[in-house]
Amino acid sequence: MNGKGFVALFLATCLSACTLLATEGLKPWEKECPENYEDLLGIEGQIQKHLSKTKSAVVSLETEDGAGSGVIVSAEGLVLTAAHVIGDRGKKITAILSTGKRVSAVSLGGSVFSDAGMLKIESKAVLPFVDLAKVKNSSLGNWCYALGHPNGFDTTRGQVLRLGRIIGKQDETMQTDCRLLGGDSGGPLFNLNGEVIAIHSRISQQADENFHIPIETFVSNWDFFMTDEFYNAQKLEEGGFLGVASSLAPEGLTILGIVEGSAAEKFGLLEGDILKSLDGEPLDSREKLAILVSNKSPQDPIVLELSRAGRLLTFRVPLGSRLNEE
Amino acid sequence: MNRSLTFLLVLAQAFSAEAKTDDSLLDPRLRLNGIQVQQAFGKTQGIAQESTVKLLRNERVIAHGTVIDSRGFVLSKASACIGARYLLTNSGIRLPVKARKRDEACDLVLLEVIGDGYEWPTLHWSDNNNSTDARWAISASPELDEIRLGLFGGKTRPIGREGGVMGVVLSDDNQSERGIRVLEVIPQSAADRAGLKINDRILKIDHRSVRSKQQVNHAMQKKDPGDLVLLHINRVDEAIELRVTLGHRSVTFDLFNRNLLMSGPTSKRKDNFPLVLQHDIPLYRNNMGGPVFNLEGQCVGINIARVDRVTNFALPHAVLYPILRDWLKP
Repeated sequence: MNGKGFVALFLATCLSACTLLATEGLKPWEKECPENYEDLLGIEGQIQKHLSKTKSAVVSLETEDGAGSGVIVSAEGLVLTAAHVIGDRGKKITAILSTGKRVSAVSLGGSVFSDAGMLKIESKAVLPFVDLAKVKNSSLGNWCYALGHPNGFDTTRGQVLRLGRIIGKQDETMQTDCRLLGGDSGGPLFNLNGEVIAIHSRISQQADENFHIPIETFVSNWDFFMTDEFYNAQKLEEGGFLGVASSLAPEGLTILGIVEGSAAEKFGLLEGDILKSLDGEPLDSREKLAILVSNKSPQDPIVLELSRAGRLLTFRVPLGSRLNEE
Repeated sequence: MNRSLTFLLVLAQAFSAEAKTDDSLLDPRLRLNGIQVQQAFGKTQGIAQESTVKLLRNERVIAHGTVIDSRGFVLSKASACIGARYLLTNSGIRLPVKARKRDEACDLVLLEVIGDGYEWPTLHWSDNNNSTDARWAISASPELDEIRLGLFGGKTRPIGREGGVMGVVLSDDNQSERGIRVLEVIPQSAADRAGLKINDRILKIDHRSVRSKQQVNHAMQKKDPGDLVLLHINRVDEAIELRVTLGHRSVTFDLFNRNLLMSGPTSKRKDNFPLVLQHDIPLYRNNMGGPVFNLEGQCVGINIARVDRVTNFALPHAVLYPILRDWLKP
């Protein structure tokens, strides 16, 4: 064996030893796949550990249009849910706590783009709540559990628990194989530490391929939703228009396409540019870009920071109008 | 029209994602019901597959069954396996069966395998009466070649009769000497077909006066879908009699109906059980009657109804035990 080969073999041994160590330190639910009885017992034990606390923060929501779910995330009664459950801002909604107590609530803001929505329970009592997971902490393959009220509130049945894994994650959508049904919309998806990682949004024709709004989307646009802004189609249409299609990247939004005749084209934005901030607001979700732009009027100037081939550039450009593009 | 079309296009532009790349999707073998996750269940896989049989009528699988003892007695869901003549084991052996006992209250049937020479596994029941909440639930897959996984979740509880429904929304005000006012009639519902109209006031049901919405609901819960009820109503100070053939709750009300459409075929009988466990194992309607196991490979109960795509009911050992003791006593 020559020297090079020996070094390679030595390195390979080190690497495999490291891998072994890494696997041994992992909790059963952190492994790529559970391997045996102990791992499976560990997974169910971890859910049981957090179940009653997380259940206590889940609410059933009754609106004029139907039933949904939600989760309380502050002692003052801030509730995360889906935009299609609340419908609009300032709407009266009945929330049913896990104890069965009915309390009144009013919708705050939300957005039809991501389907994220918020409401506030109007109660002086201190309410049970759960913590949000840290952003960018959940990834493909993570075990998770869904809670909610499929078919609406049912006191003899209670909330329904479902297990799954994150099977898809791209931009601001998350897919799991937790089985969901109408009435679950707006309900929480938890990681195995009992923290909220997403909110149930759309159910798919496939029972085990449902869609959730990741918590990152809420965090990115928190202040907009808290200040009673509801972003719907009309608001989008009447506001300013930049004219880019983008995808979420670790350092900003990568431009995938430019709309012909739009402000983006006029001012020379290019495919591959990475948008970093708009008027100083960091762009950490595509929805934030859409919200910031639609808050402006056509012709309003904006300051865009972007990175092109490693160089930071600043653009000062007036926005266009969506209606001009027809 | 033009506006809404624009909105759709714009959304497509703003949010068009790239074609999904491989690293944005989980390897199917690692999904909850993926083959690699199944392998972690070790011996329990084989136990679930060997204790479950397919029941056949005219060469079609109409239900699963649970092999409950080494003599070859099989327990199943009575209303699902009417006319079952043969069973198929997970190893493909085909044997004739005959129904021996039936329990209407629990929708159970005991089948006996005709002929011997087959070595049946022994079923070990879970005698642990502790909560099954948030524990693994394991059943054989539809073809008995794999297992299917889920969790027990939702309270263990009795399931009452679903009752028949008219398909009306009634007024809450209980000051009604003049009957209960109809606020809404669901289109195509039993009430609609019978000719009930908004603002009709219901005075009597089957010749009994009703004074509140609750009394009407109570009367309906005692009836089944398909039952005929006679209504005395007051319509603009005119007395009218209507005959209503009651409908199914899940078919009448939109939300339930939509959820049912999303769920695929569900069991015909899914109500009126003394006690059920609830789990979310992905199974079809014709997989009811088979066993459900815990992580230790012990039988916790038998699947008795597919309710919707997130819900199955299983009868627990506590319900099955007295029935089986009676049926199998020497």
